[in-house]
Amino acid sequence: MKELKALFDRIAQRTNINLRELNFDVTPFIKNLVPLQQMVKFYAFYGITPNHPLDLQFRHSSLAGSYFLGKCRTVNSILYKTDIRGDELKHRGDVFSYQQFEIPVSKDEGFDIEDSYLIKTLVHNYSHDPETLERFFIKDTISTHYANIHGSPSDGSFLGPFATVDLTTMQDCVIGTFSYVQTGEIAHLNVGPGTVWIRKPGEFNFLYRHPLQRLNDYINFSAGRPPQGFIIDFVEDRKGAFQRVFEVVNLEPIPVPRSASLDRYAVVKPKTQIGENVLVAQRAYLQNASLGKGANAQENCYIVNSRLAGFNVTAHGAKIIEAELGQHVFVGFNSFLRGRPDCRLTIGKDSIVLPHTIIDIKQPLTVPPEHLVWGLITTQADLESNSMAISDFSKIDGGLEQGNLSFEGRGGSFVAAFRKRIHHILEANGAFFDGAANKGHAQRNQNISFNMIQPYPNGDLAGLYPTIVIQP
Amino acid sequence: MTYYRVKELMVPLAEYATVPAGSSLLEAMLALEKAQAEFDHAKYRHRGVLILDKNKKVIGKLGQLDVLRALEPKEDYTDDIRNLHQFGFTSKYIQNVRKQRRLKGAPLKDLCRKAATLKVEDFMQAPSEGEFIDEEASLELAILQLVMGDHHLSLLVTRDQAIVGVLRMTDVFGAVFHAAKECEITIQ
Repeated sequence: MKELKALFDRIAQRTNINLRELNFDVTPFIKNLVPLQQMVKFYAFYGITPNHPLDLQFRHSSLAGSYFLGKCRTVNSILYKTDIRGDELKHRGDVFSYQQFEIPVSKDEGFDIEDSYLIKTLVHNYSHDPETLERFFIKDTISTHYANIHGSPSDGSFLGPFATVDLTTMQDCVIGTFSYVQTGEIAHLNVGPGTVWIRKPGEFNFLYRHPLQRLNDYINFSAGRPPQGFIIDFVEDRKGAFQRVFEVVNLEPIPVPRSASLDRYAVVKPKTQIGENVLVAQRAYLQNASLGKGANAQENCYIVNSRLAGFNVTAHGAKIIEAELGQHVFVGFNSFLRGRPDCRLTIGKDSIVLPHTIIDIKQPLTVPPEHLVWGLITTQADLESNSMAISDFSKIDGGLEQGNLSFEGRGGSFVAAFRKRIHHILEANGAFFDGAANKGHAQRNQNISFNMIQPYPNGDLAGLYPTIVIQP
Repeated sequence: MTYYRVKELMVPLAEYATVPAGSSLLEAMLALEKAQAEFDHAKYRHRGVLILDKNKKVIGKLGQLDVLRALEPKEDYTDDIRNLHQFGFTSKYIQNVRKQRRLKGAPLKDLCRKAATLKVEDFMQAPSEGEFIDEEASLELAILQLVMGDHHLSLLVTRDQAIVGVLRMTDVFGAVFHAAKECEITIQ
């Protein structure tokens, strides 16, 4: 294990060098966060399909429990139970539109992970940086439990637990626990915990800051101890259910419609119904859940005792418990929506629950149709200050300060951007498949073959994987 | 032409408004008023109060802006507003947020009550590098220090490490003006 220990130290040092300007030391946060002995325990695996490129290279890396699909080069890195999902990478010949530019993609895009340590992180989508179209790099970066690196090349950065960086290139940044950033580009910034920041310069700037004291009950993270709070407890309580799907090689298939895709590494508990064109990704957890036509449950989603009427997006890491969702309800990244058996949560059709929203109620609560919802909501009064009819939000032209929300710019532009994104997600996931046209992940990700790879079991190299190149 | 030294231009410490550490803002303002009344109005227009420790040593200065800042509602200056710049919000938006919060905040009479409770040492400016000038220094050196340094409004005048007075920009300007008039007479 000597080599793995040296690799860990090397990654911490390189990240610290990048973060010196912010005076941020990663070491106390990550030391013992995952004991290195864990890296020997779990196999890594990769998917093979005729629909995705296969080009995987692993050198001097530890990959325990991680999953790879598509094209990825991993060097001098530790990936622990991390999903590298390359089903949305750009292909050679694609044309990338950026501002007034139409930029041809000269070769298949690939993930390029170097000198990084990713813990239970999802890496997905494609690089939105016009300067690095074919290389989605993650370099000198450390991410912790249930972080999302989504379409966001990263250099010299640290992501706290449940942090999401979405469609944003970041350099030398700290993204705090449960923070969401979608701003295109950031550098040398320390974004505090519980920050939800969505910005398109010249169009809109949305900033919500969770009240930290209340947020800490749900998720908090400090040096020297693992993440804590209701959300991590909720996930940990269901960890055992995933052991079976990872340990058993030949699981009995669960029947789903031919147009739907249920990943064999998802957990499906009794009384679950999966409709047509539904996508259920790996590490999703469904229990007494009904997913109507075109709905999806992405990685690290939990849907429990809930009904989704159809064409619902449940983005990476979102949790929906004891809830009724109308058609076309969008639930953003890492949101935590929890009703109770005797006081359920209802969200009306066409509503948008912004990323990293927490709704946790002890009285029945109804979000009316076509509403925008954000922040931390436990009461009707919270809902009133943290939501607005989409038609009213669209009328904002200038600024709004409401509760912990600061918004500047055009509300209509903000809503339009979300609507466009939601439509794109549904389209990419195959929600609109008509039996012949409009195929998406739900149709293309069926019948994936999975192969396992394993690390050195002991000795100086214990936990590291030998150099492996996997190509067609 | 007259040769000026700093000690001839400064306001001596004994004539300057001073309060001991531990005084309230209100006491500082009263000391300022008293100094203004006791000394020649035309010569001295006091704009600050010096804070003295128990050994009568100057430990800080409280200007008019410091008093206004102290009385401002703190929510106008909280990190969440200050940080909006970091998140790309425009100055216009931030100014508007401040205005909105001010309108919702406490009226002026409530703010003034605070003056009796706030302590001067929490808002004073401690002397810093470049703020001192020797009493024997020339007018030219004083001008240089005011113009090029970080302390444009006044300097603390020292004699053997002890602060003995305050040299204000207005005193320096008065001397320069006087010197300029002398030049004009000579040219004619």
